[in-house]
Amino acid sequence: MATWTWFHRLASPPHVYAFAQRWTRWFGGFAAVAMIVALVGGLVLAPPDYQQKDAFRMVYVHAPTAWLSLMIYTTMAVAAAVALIWRMKVAHAAAAACAPVGAWFTVVALGTGMLWGKPMWGAYWVWDPRLTSELILLFLYLGYMGLRAGIEDPSKADRASAVLAVVGVVNVPIIKYSVEWWNSLHQTPTVMQLGKPKMDFDMLWPLLLMFLAFALYFIAVLLTRLRAELLRRERNASWVREVVT
Amino acid sequence: MTPWFSTLSEFFAMSGYGKYVWPSFVLGFGAVLLNAWLASRALAEARAQARRRLEMNP
Repeated sequence: MATWTWFHRLASPPHVYAFAQRWTRWFGGFAAVAMIVALVGGLVLAPPDYQQKDAFRMVYVHAPTAWLSLMIYTTMAVAAAVALIWRMKVAHAAAAACAPVGAWFTVVALGTGMLWGKPMWGAYWVWDPRLTSELILLFLYLGYMGLRAGIEDPSKADRASAVLAVVGVVNVPIIKYSVEWWNSLHQTPTVMQLGKPKMDFDMLWPLLLMFLAFALYFIAVLLTRLRAELLRRERNASWVREVVT
Repeated sequence: MTPWFSTLSEFFAMSGYGKYVWPSFVLGFGAVLLNAWLASRALAEARAQARRRLEMNP
């Protein structure tokens, strides 16, 4: 049964709270350092693209935030599924903590994409499969948050929003493969493909570091929001007294 | 490890794409800072609320 102890700890709010409290600064600290190094690498050290010139540097903010918008949704859907299957309160709290961050980064992915689309495609917006499915992702996040806000009974809100999160996850592979399934203006992946990436190393390392930085950043933000969620949900539990006094 | 741009004005111009490149970085990293701030504010509020509850019914 020892293999299951970690799972039980994961279900225990005071354990998760203590874990989050201990590790947030480490994730946040490494994220900040990695982001600064990657920014210098991408904006200053990397050579310009032979076609796009310096416009290609938008990749260092667009690709990591777009990737994060998908990763956060996947995290949210997995947390929601775990919460539904094992009736785990901590997992409901984690899913709820994901949504606003995911919505923000979907806005950023769309916004930076529009800023890149204008000089490259000649338009801020086209009803392209990639762009449209990413816009649907934003509506899924907003729908999730709206549903939670609209249901007064917290456990009903948890369950209803979790079902929406799980159902909505079908959109994630649609976004990911939209550039391959349909004719899209959007380019196919440059980095995230099996085998060799089609990018020069001087351009590639800042991008990979930026992906890592955003992953660490998201963990730090998620752990912080999760602590807030746990305090609100467990306000009558005795452990809350110990951590806030 | 040498900077690609030889002058600061070249760097800001981004070969003519500055008006797209800089807003996209401001938007992206502005959201990074904003979300870090929003998360820590949510935690501070939840902590303050929990403390108030404990003071009211000790």
